[in-house]
Amino acid sequence: MSFLHIHNIHKRFGETHVLKGIDIAIEKGDFLVLVGPSGCGKSTLLNMIAGLDDISEGELRLDGERINDLHPSRRDIAMVFQSYALYPSMTVAGNIGFGLEMRKVPKAERRAAVQRAAELLQIENLLDRKPGQLSGGQRQRVAMGRALVREPQLFLFDEPLSNLDAKLRVDMRTEIKQLHQRLGTTIVYVTHDQIEAMTLATRIAVMRGGELQQLGTPQAVYDDPNNLFVAGFMGSPSMNLVTARIERLGGELVARLTAGSDEVVLPVVRDRAALEAWCDREVIVGLRPEAITDPSSANRQDGVIHEAELAVDLVEPTGADLYVVTQLGGRSINARMRPGSTLEPGQRARFAFDVSRMVAFEPDSEHRIRNPETVAPSEPAVVTSIS
Amino acid sequence: MSAASPVARRNPFARAMLYAVLAGFAVIYLMPLYVMLVTSFKPLTEIHQGNMLALPDAWTFAPWREAWGSACIGLECSGVHGYFFNSIKIVVPAVLISGLLGAFNGYVLTKWRFRGHKIVFGLILFSCFIPFQIILLPMARVLGILHIANSTTGLVLVHVVYGIGFTTLFFRNFYASFPDELVRAAKLDGAGFFTIFFRILLPSSIPIIVVTIIWQFTNVWNDFLFGVSFTSGDSAPITVALNNLVNSSTGVKAYNVNMAAAMVAAVPTLVVYILAGKYFLRGLMSGSVKG
Amino acid sequence: MSKPPSSRGAGARERLQHWLPKLVLSPSFVLVLFFVYGFILWTSYISFSDSGMLPDYTWAGTRQWSRLWSSWTWGIALHNIWVFGLLYIVSCTLLGLLLAILLDQRIRAEGTLRTIYLYPMALSFIVTGTAWQWFLNPGLGLERTMHSLGWESFSFNWLIDANMAIYTVVIAAVWQATGFIMAMFLAGLRGIDGEMIKAAQIDGAPTWKIYLRIVIPQLRPVFLSAIVVLAHLAIKSFDLIVAMTGGGPGNATAVPATFMYSYAFSRNEMGIAAASAVFMLAVIAALIIPYLYSELREPRS
Ligand SMILES: Nc1ncnc2c1ncn2[C@@H]1O[C@H](COP(=O)(O)OP(=O)(O)OP(=O)(O)O)[C@@H](O)[C@H]1O
Ligand SMILES: [Mg+2]
Repeated sequence: MSFLHIHNIHKRFGETHVLKGIDIAIEKGDFLVLVGPSGCGKSTLLNMIAGLDDISEGELRLDGERINDLHPSRRDIAMVFQSYALYPSMTVAGNIGFGLEMRKVPKAERRAAVQRAAELLQIENLLDRKPGQLSGGQRQRVAMGRALVREPQLFLFDEPLSNLDAKLRVDMRTEIKQLHQRLGTTIVYVTHDQIEAMTLATRIAVMRGGELQQLGTPQAVYDDPNNLFVAGFMGSPSMNLVTARIERLGGELVARLTAGSDEVVLPVVRDRAALEAWCDREVIVGLRPEAITDPSSANRQDGVIHEAELAVDLVEPTGADLYVVTQLGGRSINARMRPGSTLEPGQRARFAFDVSRMVAFEPDSEHRIRNPETVAPSEPAVVTSIS
Repeated sequence: MSAASPVARRNPFARAMLYAVLAGFAVIYLMPLYVMLVTSFKPLTEIHQGNMLALPDAWTFAPWREAWGSACIGLECSGVHGYFFNSIKIVVPAVLISGLLGAFNGYVLTKWRFRGHKIVFGLILFSCFIPFQIILLPMARVLGILHIANSTTGLVLVHVVYGIGFTTLFFRNFYASFPDELVRAAKLDGAGFFTIFFRILLPSSIPIIVVTIIWQFTNVWNDFLFGVSFTSGDSAPITVALNNLVNSSTGVKAYNVNMAAAMVAAVPTLVVYILAGKYFLRGLMSGSVKG
Repeated sequence: MSKPPSSRGAGARERLQHWLPKLVLSPSFVLVLFFVYGFILWTSYISFSDSGMLPDYTWAGTRQWSRLWSSWTWGIALHNIWVFGLLYIVSCTLLGLLLAILLDQRIRAEGTLRTIYLYPMALSFIVTGTAWQWFLNPGLGLERTMHSLGWESFSFNWLIDANMAIYTVVIAAVWQATGFIMAMFLAGLRGIDGEMIKAAQIDGAPTWKIYLRIVIPQLRPVFLSAIVVLAHLAIKSFDLIVAMTGGGPGNATAVPATFMYSYAFSRNEMGIAAASAVFMLAVIAALIIPYLYSELREPRS
């Protein structure tokens, strides 16, 4: 039995069907990150777990117990809100201790617990201040302290870092990760930030329009997406998704792509069995920018490299990398090259494709074309729902 | 906006005209108050000589003393002081009760919404705008039935009932912009309905409490219609007494006493206005409904 | 399908928590239902009854209504409220807008001026009426003062002139409310995006043209609010007229509110009084309900 089990959960606000049957199960100690476009129902799901919104249909189990009808204060769940939601009239200590006070924890015990939480978050010197006198990062810490102090079974975070500036966000991200590792707590976390999702999660759930698209480890979601949406949504810059024609060339299965006036022919090595059925038909293939490189930085050890010469349209240095834009399959695509490259627009250059990382999708249903036996081999317990 | 288009900032003549016009209006606005004040300090003989703009030749407090303690209103010759205290007896409970009810209503209507909350609010809100003539007749009867006709208690009830609309509007609009997440956080922390209200919302509500108190205070203090309809004689509020003094006195009109009495009636709200004009204005603006 | 809450005792507490909000709201709601809507129904019924000095619940059809409409005084009252309302709304709006624009020119002492323009709003209409009655007193007021200052031919006796008395009420009412309308417009002006005006200035438009063509059109919602608020105040106006003219000379300054009061409490004609009150309510409702509806409707997402 999983620790948190979200079973076929629906949510309706009057006529609008916001969540359409979500199934997620995670284990104790897991760090589940919910991602998805704005309005897809992440906050709604979180609020339902917390008990702040009613569950229209389905079942919610925490540690084996059904908690659908349990009052929020008795679910043993704490939540950190996007706006931090610190009580403006109370001091930091008052804020952190409020939940314990409501649970009638004796004063001395309460004070000790507040002190411990404050030490953990390094905010002991702020305990007497009011929230109005704190910086954004300090407020964020207090909000976490308020959740931590109750030592709940489950933590919920709704975009907790989105109001911080970029630098602070990275620091806090690291701290949250450390806290999770140190305390071993179970966390459900909503974010818009790709990097946050990838670095923090042990499980990522990608949602769209009230439906779960994929649930898996960060690596699985990133490298082995279930469908075109997940492929395009995860990763920044996003995966190159272009049209290709599957053909048989001298006994080998290949994907033929237009490249300006030329063509590029890439051997199919992944999901070959499934793609046999698509011979002489068009599919959509996906290649991450880091799977298209200059020949010298290609990963020849793990990958299967295929080189081709293409025209350079645009060069975009980011400092750490150099993104080169070229035409493939009728679209502009991104390739990630060594920063030192002296490429210039208009020039032709050799590109190395790691075809072992190429994934293919059905153009109409947008489902992944995947060999049956390779369905998430590392993830036997994964629950997915695509409808 | 003001930053963008100062009329002829570099044209000193236009600037001077602008200030002159504004100052002219200021004089016009202050004039009645000024005339009231100087008249109230003049002996009657000086008033009959004419120029009402002139300062008194012989300053006298007699009109004020008379207005407060011995002017005849109806058959009673003891000035307006009793009516002044009547008004206080009406205002204090009316403001407190309607304010408290409004605060709770605003809290429920924003943070504990239920099906039909909009209709309930609409019905309550519309009650601020009815012409009170529509309720005068039945209210007079109901006050009689409750044996509180012609009493300050009766007026307290009336002002509470017809004040709820505005107090609810004020608090509802204020709490609507109060983050829901705070209430949700408190629920998770285990706080209930009243704890959330008293511990989380109320401490942050000082501005709207001030606005509500000032608004209700001004409205109730300045009320005339309810006072004149539901009370007479001893239990009337100050506005009714002032009107009786000014408009039904027989014999020689003591204008100076009238003005002094008018000042007595005006001073409490003027003081509030001068001390807390910002909140007064805010109340006026929300009273004109900004959803 | 769904199981009952797991623990019984706590369930009762939670059920109480569930009802508590409605419980807390209900006293106010019941008061409003009874004292507002119940009373409206009652008064409406009375307007179709035979009631005179005491309520008489015999149905009389539209008898009271036809008596109301054939009443000479009611005709005067309607005429007066129309004249008063129109002048009051137009003057307050224009003057308020003018003052707001003048004050919006980065005036030093803006705060003081605003305080001066707005203070009459804090006064009771009775005080205002008393003050203006004295100020405009034909024998001893403004007229006499002008004479003593050397303007011998100055004459101002509107207060006792049956044809003009209603205009004195307009003057006092405008004096009282303009500051508030000014504050509304000032808030509106402060809310306008300055970039647009800068752009127009760069284009070389003269200031008056900027105001006429760009600023004032943007104040449309403020005009609407101001007009609704003023119309509502006008229809309810009672105190000021009682204090200034007592509805006189004769019936010259009667308005529906004073009409209703005198028929209800002096003439003991409950039926007619009720009919006039219902009429006032109908006018205000026609004005206020669409306004409230548009103000409070939440923008659909
Ligand atoms: N009380 C409500 N009544 C009606 N619809 C609602 C309500 N609350 C949320 N919704 C709708 O439910 C959908 C999901 O909302 P939710 O807040 O869960 O999205 P989200 O994924 O958290 O988005 P974001 O990333 O912008 O925070 C939205 O389309 C929203 O409009
Ligand atoms: Mg959200």
